[in-house]
Amino acid sequence: MDMTYFDDVPGAEEPLDASDVALLARVAELSERADPVPEGLVERSLFAMTLAGLESEVMELMVLEAPAGTVRSDAPPLETRTITFTHERLTVMIALSPGNTPRTVRVDGWLAPADTLTIVLRRPDGDHRTTADDDGRFVLEDVPRGLASLLVEQDDVPITTPVIEL
Amino acid sequence: MGGPGGRRASPRPALRSWGAAGASGARDHEDARREMTSPPETESLGDRAAAALLGYREGRADAMSEFVREATPLLWRTVRAQGVPREAADDVVQQTWAALVGHVESISEPKATLKWLLVTARRAAWEVVRKGRADEQRRTELPDDDAETSATLPDPTPGPEAELLRDERDRLLWGALRQLPDRCQELLRLVSLADRPDYRSISAAIGMPVGSIGATRGRCLAKLRAVLTEQGETSWT
Repeated sequence: MDMTYFDDVPGAEEPLDASDVALLARVAELSERADPVPEGLVERSLFAMTLAGLESEVMELMVLEAPAGTVRSDAPPLETRTITFTHERLTVMIALSPGNTPRTVRVDGWLAPADTLTIVLRRPDGDHRTTADDDGRFVLEDVPRGLASLLVEQDDVPITTPVIEL
Repeated sequence: MGGPGGRRASPRPALRSWGAAGASGARDHEDARREMTSPPETESLGDRAAAALLGYREGRADAMSEFVREATPLLWRTVRAQGVPREAADDVVQQTWAALVGHVESISEPKATLKWLLVTARRAAWEVVRKGRADEQRRTELPDDDAETSATLPDPTPGPEAELLRDERDRLLWGALRQLPDRCQELLRLVSLADRPDYRSISAAIGMPVGSIGATRGRCLAKLRAVLTEQGETSWT
């Protein structure tokens, strides 16, 4: 049984002492160094919670594919990036490129299936809205860099992407 | 649909990161954080989860923001222990927190908040792993693929690069940790980020009886020391 698995290990039943605490602290430290919590994950989570509080019935999209290290804040987003999100009712692909002014991004997006839906790019400081054309294409110009989530208004339940770093 | 907030009677408070707070707000947060880092003996991560939930229900976001900051590493470790790649784990953690907002009213026992988070994160992680395996399966059914070599998921905890562990003692400890059974590794990583009163939540999250989690932790620590001693590392004993 489970309880006897380590019974031959001396000291197994000792209560947690100072040296246990120190060893556990080193385990935590090494785990963090080997596999660090991604930079900005707390901020993305807080923003995702704020968005969820505003739109409790939002459904999630999953990041389908993205070049490693480009969706998050790890890499400087200077070059064009393409990110695809999928959902059972909808696929959204966005291409990000530098905007016309410093610290901004141009977002070129495509919806499949194509439909003239309202797109809302939500940022901590406010929303940018646009509408997709008959081909499902949409453009958001000069969006400030930082945390953002796209919301597509469709039928009764809007669909949103995870929070990403533009 | 209506505008933001149109779907619920009482919109949830916005959660702000410390960096985005004003100067005075940041000071308050600093104070709050200092209190958090030296909690009274009786207060645990689970207690702070309960307090954060209750505060959030009443429209106060500060305790929740602080709790998200404090507990995100535990969620990250929980999700990564299931073998979820980093990029997907980022989304799982984010969505676990977002899901909490949707369940703020339905968690009847605030003390169960931490357990709810850990169980939710672990289930979502399994789902990602299951989908990953299904994708691998489809890929390996291609005629030229060798199912034996390609049907494995990425190593959940890749060995750190040598430069990350320049210190010889770090390398020894890391090597010893990786020699423990997976269950021991997961348990030690999780309890290293939580407080003793939180073992009940952790036991639920990793499917280990709460009565045995303390003793198992003791055995895993003793085992870890035994491996270190075998390797000639005596400073732990």
